[in-house]
Amino acid sequence: MRLFSNIVQNIREINHRYEKPQIEMTPFVKLCLLVLRLYLLGLVGLLIFKFITTWKG
Amino acid sequence: MFWISKTIHYLSRFKRRTILFFAVLGPGVITMVADNDAGGITTYTVTGAKFGLHLLWFLILLGPVAYYVQEMTVRLGAVTKRGHAEAIFSAFGRFWGWFSLSDLVMTDWLTMITEFIGMTAALSIFHFPPLLTVVICWLIMGMMIMSGRYWTWEKIALLFCAINLIYIPAAFMVHPSIRDIAYNSFVPHFPPGGFTNDLFFLLMANIGTTIAPWMLFFQQSSVVDKGLNEKEIKFGKADTAFGAVLTVVVAMVLIIVSSKLLYGLPIEDAAAAARQIMPTSSIIGTLFAIGLFDAGLLGAICISLASSWAFGEVFGWAHSLNQKVREAPWFYAYYFFDLLLAGTVVLIPGAPLVLITLFVQVIATTLLPAALVFLILLLNDKKTMGEYINTTWENIANISIVIIIIVLSTMYGISTLFPNFFSIH
Repeated sequence: MRLFSNIVQNIREINHRYEKPQIEMTPFVKLCLLVLRLYLLGLVGLLIFKFITTWKG
Repeated sequence: MFWISKTIHYLSRFKRRTILFFAVLGPGVITMVADNDAGGITTYTVTGAKFGLHLLWFLILLGPVAYYVQEMTVRLGAVTKRGHAEAIFSAFGRFWGWFSLSDLVMTDWLTMITEFIGMTAALSIFHFPPLLTVVICWLIMGMMIMSGRYWTWEKIALLFCAINLIYIPAAFMVHPSIRDIAYNSFVPHFPPGGFTNDLFFLLMANIGTTIAPWMLFFQQSSVVDKGLNEKEIKFGKADTAFGAVLTVVVAMVLIIVSSKLLYGLPIEDAAAAARQIMPTSSIIGTLFAIGLFDAGLLGAICISLASSWAFGEVFGWAHSLNQKVREAPWFYAYYFFDLLLAGTVVLIPGAPLVLITLFVQVIATTLLPAALVFLILLLNDKKTMGEYINTTWENIANISIVIIIIVLSTMYGISTLFPNFFSIH
């Protein structure tokens, strides 16, 4: 139990430490991060589609 | 007299640089040679068995691709003194940080299972039961890190890299035609039959094995753990270039051997290839099996460390191979946990090992583009890199390579999920 609460505490600290991105958010960086998000959403969509078709089949 | 003093000056400078190069030698060679892991050996063997020597030119092209990507991790590690996981958390914030770390842990763990599959399959040729193989691997990998010195670990890893070159004598033993090798290496062309689905899949598979997410995390963290600084970047680059040459040589040699001994045979993996070769030449078959075991071991060593370093960096644990187990308990605990978990899965009767092997590629497809894009962005951040920021030429080369890798590895991942998605009619 203590180990678990230590891990949760650790994760909170990490979230706090890295709350704000340090890289300069130029339009190019913002665009890259947006494209990455869309790319990952697309992949997750494909994975869900595959899961559903496999499950139904 | 002037030329004598000048010659002595050049010789002493050459000697000094050679000594420095050998001192820095390690992270690049280990990462690149470990890139030819159990999965890589299978890919090259199948490529040679299916298409003979016709794709040698393509493999040569993959050498510079691997170099340009990995070289960026050397600069980033030497300048920031941070591993890739920590660099992502710091630069892009907690969302991308947690995404990368959790994806890395999943990818690494699944890849580790494939390495154990390769190692157990390789030693089964010598009638080793899987349990014994797994225990041998655990012992070797445990002993390597117990010294509490990065130097010792690195030298043992380099020894395993040297064993990976065991395929080279095998290539000489099959007496390949030098003329054919030269032609297929330097004249780009498609195999007879043209651009087919099989060819397309294998081209993507070869790209997929060239750059894996763990390589970025591993090399950057090892550069940091070794303590490379900005002045040593050029030697770190040379180390990476040397490793890229070795990885291409091993890949070419595998294709040469399999094209000579297995051409036209339906080969599913490297262990099956070794078994198939045994009746023709027991020496080459044995070299093949030893090489496969070594490749799996080297891959597993690097992959488990990549995850442990990443966790240590983010959670703030002591995370150096220069620290003993009692000084960095969580770092080593995670390392052993990873090893035990991956090894145990292989021993479970009826575990879905084929499904895991396919799933690795899909999961890697979700992490690799993000890790590569972060790398490019960080190398272009003046605040992070200072004078070591990417030059225009480096950006042209690196961005083109990264785009090609992302497109092809994504296609590979998708075609693993949907085999007919990119069918050529």
